[in-house]
Order: sequence, then C-alpha cells, then structure tokens
Amino acid sequence: MIAPIDLTADQQQLQDAAIAFAKQALGRDMIARDREERFNREDWMQCAEFGVQAMPVSADYGGLGLGLVTLISVMEGLGYGCRDSGLLFSLNAHLWTNSIPIQIYGTEAQKQRYLPGLCNGTLIGANGASEPDAGSDIFSMRTRAERVGDHYVLNGAKTFVSNAPVADLFVLYATIDPALGPMGVTAFIIERDTPGLSVGKHLEKMGLRTSPMAEVILEDCRIPVENRLGREGRGAEVFECSMEWERGCILGSFLGTMRRQLEQCITHARSRKQFGKAIGKFQSTANRIVDMRVRLDACRPMVYRIGQLKDQNRKAVLEASVAKLFVSESLVASMLDAVQVFGGYGYMTEQEVERDLRDAVGSTLYSGTSEIQRNIIAKCLGL
Amino acid sequence: MDSTKEAIRTYILNEYLPGESPSNLKDDTPLRTSGILDSMATLNLVSYLEQTFGIQIDAHETGVENFDRIEDIVALVASKKGA
Repeated sequence: MIAPIDLTADQQQLQDAAIAFAKQALGRDMIARDREERFNREDWMQCAEFGVQAMPVSADYGGLGLGLVTLISVMEGLGYGCRDSGLLFSLNAHLWTNSIPIQIYGTEAQKQRYLPGLCNGTLIGANGASEPDAGSDIFSMRTRAERVGDHYVLNGAKTFVSNAPVADLFVLYATIDPALGPMGVTAFIIERDTPGLSVGKHLEKMGLRTSPMAEVILEDCRIPVENRLGREGRGAEVFECSMEWERGCILGSFLGTMRRQLEQCITHARSRKQFGKAIGKFQSTANRIVDMRVRLDACRPMVYRIGQLKDQNRKAVLEASVAKLFVSESLVASMLDAVQVFGGYGYMTEQEVERDLRDAVGSTLYSGTSEIQRNIIAKCLGL
Repeated sequence: MDSTKEAIRTYILNEYLPGESPSNLKDDTPLRTSGILDSMATLNLVSYLEQTFGIQIDAHETGVENFDRIEDIVALVASKKGA
C-alpha cells in the first residue's frame, strides 16, 4: 500500500518558492539554447543562490542539511516552473553522483575540500562510469587504476559523462583488476586540471540538450591515494549508492514536468475548438488527458516514498527501481500524449511541447535502463 | 563459530534464497559456482560480514576460494577475527 503524500506547510511554502523562482529566473531563451546545446552557468549559479545544490548536504560542509522529501518537493517545483529540463538533469547528476557519494564515503579532508564548492555553485560535478563496452554491464569496465607508491595511475576512457564539458570535479570509476569484477572497481575524485585527464568528444543528444555531455579520457593520470573515494575495491558500493539516490531523486522534477504539461493540455483542450466545440469535449482527447492525470497521481507517492525511506536512513533499492521504471515510462507516455493533444502545433518547436518529449525519452535509459530496473526488481523479489 | 555460521546462513537465505527451505542450504552448498551468489551479491555479503563481525576483507580475498561455501566463509571470518 502506498501512502499518499501531504507536504508540510514549510515544504509547500518551499515548493511554491521554487516554482516562483524557476518561472522568474530560469529557462530563458530555451528554443535557441536547446538548438545550440548551450548550458547556462548563470542559471546554475542562480540555483545555487536559491540553495538547490546545498539542500541535501550537511550544514557542516556548507549545505542546508534538508531532508530528501523536502528536496523532492523543491525538485517537483523546479520541474513545474522551469522549462530547462537539461539544467535540472545537470543538477541531479551533480547532486547524486558527486555531492552525496562524497558526503557518504569521503574522508573528512575530502568533504572539507570539495563539498562547500559543490554547494555554493562554484564547483560543478560530473560522474564517469560508463565505457564504450561497459554500459548496463557497468562493472565490466576496462579503465585501469594501478597503485604506484602513494598514487594511482589511471588509464582508460569514459563515455556519456554528463556535465563533463563544464565540470570542475569528476567522480570516476576504474578497476584495480578486471578479473575481480565489481570487487575491483574503485572510485576516485579527480579535479579537472589534473594532468592526464582530458575532456574528449562532445556528444550530441536527442534531448536534454542544455545539459552538456562528453567523453573523458585518462592517460597516465596520476591520482594521489588521498583522492580515492571510499576503500580500494569498493567503488561498486559507491556507484550503487549514487544510483539508488539518483534513481529515486531525479524523478522529483519529472512530477513537476508532468503536472505542467497536464495543466497546459487542459487549458488547450478547453480553448481549442474544432467541429464547433472545445476539443476536450471529444472523448478521444479527454481520455488522453485523463490518462496523464492518472499517471501523475500514481507516480507521485512512489517518488516521495523514496524520500521518506532515505530520510529514515533506510535502504530503498527496490522502491527506487520500481519508481524509476514506472515514473520514467509514465513521463514518456504523458509527453507523447501532450504532443497528440496539441496536434500539429505540439509537433512544432515553437510550442515547446515536443522538447519535453525529447527530454523525456532519455529517462528510460539513464541511471539504469528500464530493462535493468526490471532485473533489479526481479532480484529483490527473489527471482 | 556456530553463531557465525548461523548468521551467514540466515543472511544468505533471506537475501538470496527467499522461500527456499533452510535445510536445502548446507555448509557445502556451492554458492558462487552455482550462481546463488553473483558478483554483486558477493559484494553485499562482504559488506554484511564486515559490519556484523567488525572485520575487513580485501578485494583479492573475495574469490571463489573463500566464498563458494558457507564453511569457507566461516573460516575466512574466523581467520580475520583471530588475526
């Protein structure tokens, strides 16, 4: 049984503030920036001033120490008020694959050194795990980390690295011995100007085009042992932790996007007239909008349940995968419905409906494909 | 030793063999080579052993030689606790 979610007065107030902030400050010039794949660092800094990057981080390191339910409510507000889904994706990548793993697995020195900058917007984080031959089978990675005295020497290449072109800090994964499988994987914190690290080919995408992505190449990249994140051979644990947080929390902004599109579709279906009446009076159109509402109502408790579990320091592996699978597929279905409700206009770039669809498609792929989520759920069910 | 073995057996039954009769998981039942424990399950088991018994297991100690049977795992834990 999934309990319904009622935000507290404070959380509702914060969500309302996030909506107002996003509408007023974020997502300008979106059509051109989407076309040109331009990340907006000014908006990034505005988000930092609002406190987005600081929310889940402890106050000891420059954060606000807010609970996850509160953060999800803010993300829902941003998804509703901000049309730049690429920016929200970049924020999520930064939070769940940099800030959170450093907070959980980092040494005191690492936390002191990196978390304040990750909170105040001056550092942008990126995460590199995927490789050309290690996608869903992530722990078959070939990037090597060889211990040489008080350093590791890293060689290899990472692909699909979100934020890479603008990142200041990378959490990257390499293996000390491929024969060890997941038990060989080790995580490292690498600063952008480290010799041997270079950002490679820019990767053009179907959607989320304002969130830049590139390859990262490591050539005899010497990393001090003190920049290892967590224990040697425990990178898989760090990665799984990142994914558990990301799978659950990246969905918060989807709720806002789904709500915004639902409202736009209702408005359009009430005002657009064909054959002498509003198109919403035709069942075939109304039913699509009804389905969008049903999906949103089904998705929302799933997402907030993850926040509740994590706020109680409980694991949410199963719940995060259930939510990731259902919410991402619902998002795609609803954005497709929105295009159909808007008809030919929905297909036009100018209407900014088709971009939400393009932005949505990646959600069934990143942070583990829908197929991988089903595998995780099956395993949790003892199958 | 018996309490260690029982804790490990209970963990494996709960996490990786739900619904299985406990009597079917014997001390010498193959775990890694039979697929009951895949590599991620082994990683999770290692974390459990470290937290439960206050020991540290290195990456190179997580192979089949130490994790294919409950009796091997118990021996590894015992050697770590005695070390």
